[in-house]
Amino acid sequence: MTINQTRDGGKLTVALEGRLDTTTAPQLEGELRTAVDGVTELEFDFTKLEYISSAGLRVLLAAQKVMNKQGGMVIRNANSDLMDIFEVTGFVDILHIE
Amino acid sequence: MEQKKARFSLSRKLALMVAAIALTLSAVQIFSSYTHYRAEMYEHYEEFAMNIAAVAASQLDPDRIQHYLDTGEKDETYETAYKTLCDIRENGGVMYLYVVKPEIDEVWYVMDTDPSEDAIPLGYHEPYYEGAFAENAERMARGERIEPLVSNEQFGWLMSVYYPMKTSTGAPAGYVGVDIQMDDVMKDLQRFARQMILLMAALTLAVSLILIRITSKTMAEPIKKLSSAADKLVHEQSGEGAETSIFNQLTIRSNDEVGALYESLRQMEHDMNAYIRDLVSVTAEKERIGAELNVATQIQADMLPRIFPAFPERGEFDIYASMIPAKEVGGDFYDFFLIDDDHLGLVMADVSGKGVPAALFMVIAKTLIKNQAQTGEYSPAKVLTKVNEQLCEGNEAELFVTVWLAILEISTGKGMAANAGHEHPTLRRADGKYELVEYRHSPAVATMEGIRFREHEFELHPGDSLFVYTDGVAEATDAKNELYGTERMLAALNEDPDAAPTEVLAAVKRSVDAFVGDAPQFDDITMLCLKYFGPDGAGKESI
Repeated sequence: MTINQTRDGGKLTVALEGRLDTTTAPQLEGELRTAVDGVTELEFDFTKLEYISSAGLRVLLAAQKVMNKQGGMVIRNANSDLMDIFEVTGFVDILHIE
Repeated sequence: MEQKKARFSLSRKLALMVAAIALTLSAVQIFSSYTHYRAEMYEHYEEFAMNIAAVAASQLDPDRIQHYLDTGEKDETYETAYKTLCDIRENGGVMYLYVVKPEIDEVWYVMDTDPSEDAIPLGYHEPYYEGAFAENAERMARGERIEPLVSNEQFGWLMSVYYPMKTSTGAPAGYVGVDIQMDDVMKDLQRFARQMILLMAALTLAVSLILIRITSKTMAEPIKKLSSAADKLVHEQSGEGAETSIFNQLTIRSNDEVGALYESLRQMEHDMNAYIRDLVSVTAEKERIGAELNVATQIQADMLPRIFPAFPERGEFDIYASMIPAKEVGGDFYDFFLIDDDHLGLVMADVSGKGVPAALFMVIAKTLIKNQAQTGEYSPAKVLTKVNEQLCEGNEAELFVTVWLAILEISTGKGMAANAGHEHPTLRRADGKYELVEYRHSPAVATMEGIRFREHEFELHPGDSLFVYTDGVAEATDAKNELYGTERMLAALNEDPDAAPTEVLAAVKRSVDAFVGDAPQFDDITMLCLKYFGPDGAGKESI
């Protein structure tokens, strides 16, 4: 999986490519831990993300909890497979998905 | 024994080098002393021969020499001088004593004291001998003094000196020639050289031998000891990997590089022992943790109801479930329990993440769900809401658990189900096929505080079956990273929809295994199947 960060003032865009699963989730978690400092708007671009496992959902959930305190978080461009996962897991109720 | 072959010992190499140097130096020394000695000797003999020649010359009248040659007659003066010269030759240790008059191309003989018949007569003349004489011809014709000539020809080692005489008018009158035999002297000289060579060779040999002894004691022996100790170390360590005390037992006292090497090796052995100790303890620790993790996996598995048939006295339904753990301890679990005589609780759940945290979370979640369900509310949504609140307290690890929870009224087949972010359950109506039951899910348990969970009613009729599972089934992955998916699962289920729960699970497992092939199993594979026969067990006969 590749992680692409774009910082624009208080806005951070994170574009993911590949599979966000048990093996790659810790990588994203590690990057986000430092990257979200001072971020008021966190945007995930999932255009090129193929798959997300429960470990990946956990990282998104943690990010959502942090961003609830310091601004907002939005997920964009999730494909239909990912949307199925979000719906099945009920994450559509928790995450802000556009 | 490869290391034993053709090995030149260090001390032997060193000794050979020293011997070579000593021999070279000796050769130079011998050569220079030989030439010096010879030069001294030549000088001495030249002086001696010149003195004799000078004395002889004083007996002659240079002015008359040309006259003798011209006339070929010997007068009284000639005879007197001849006698005196003969005396000088005999008593002076001279081999030949003669008087010559060199011209530019020939040598004329004036007087020869040789007592034998070979004596050259007055007036005899012949060309210069080849070599040194001929080279000095011009100088001799001019009556100049020449360097003594040394030859080793038919007369043996000879030194010839020529004492020039002048007439009263200063013209060249001839030379008194004196030949001294130097055979003895030259033999002396050669013997001296031979002795020197022998002496030097003996000395060199002795020095080399001493050197071998010294170096073998101070260098070669300690290095040999170190070398064989290193061999032994390698051998012992590759054998058992145990601690060694080889260099430590060695005693080498030396303040040179060998001593430094010894110290380094000793330190190396010490460090290596420490490293091995660390490694052994780390490995033991790892093994211990591994063993404990195995126990944890076992405890986790033991927490799940695993005795089948689970309710042999209940004819209304048949249930079977299994969890096949992945290599690493995970967080899947299923559960089923009677809340009371008429209500059956069914749980299928999956904790996010893996390892010990997920396993611990699973234990808590399972316990809380069962406890809460057994309070008798018959509402899966209320159960999950309570459990969510309890799990969210101090959930620093931010784990969550997807749960499908159903509570079935056994007598009627009616029930309530809640799906907190879990996979779609499958349902098979009597005589139908297994199909996914899709509806809007609630979020997983422990994601956020204060979540409200949805629940819905469902109804089972005699002959209906339920199959629930975790993502270990749907997301089993083959070597090409392709997901198994629910379509394949449904196909496996519908191969024999009438099969008993035990066979249903076995069929799905076989199908997953066939799909995955050699790829490792990443996730727990957990499945539960319930067949409902109706309150009087009527459905059972229909199978």
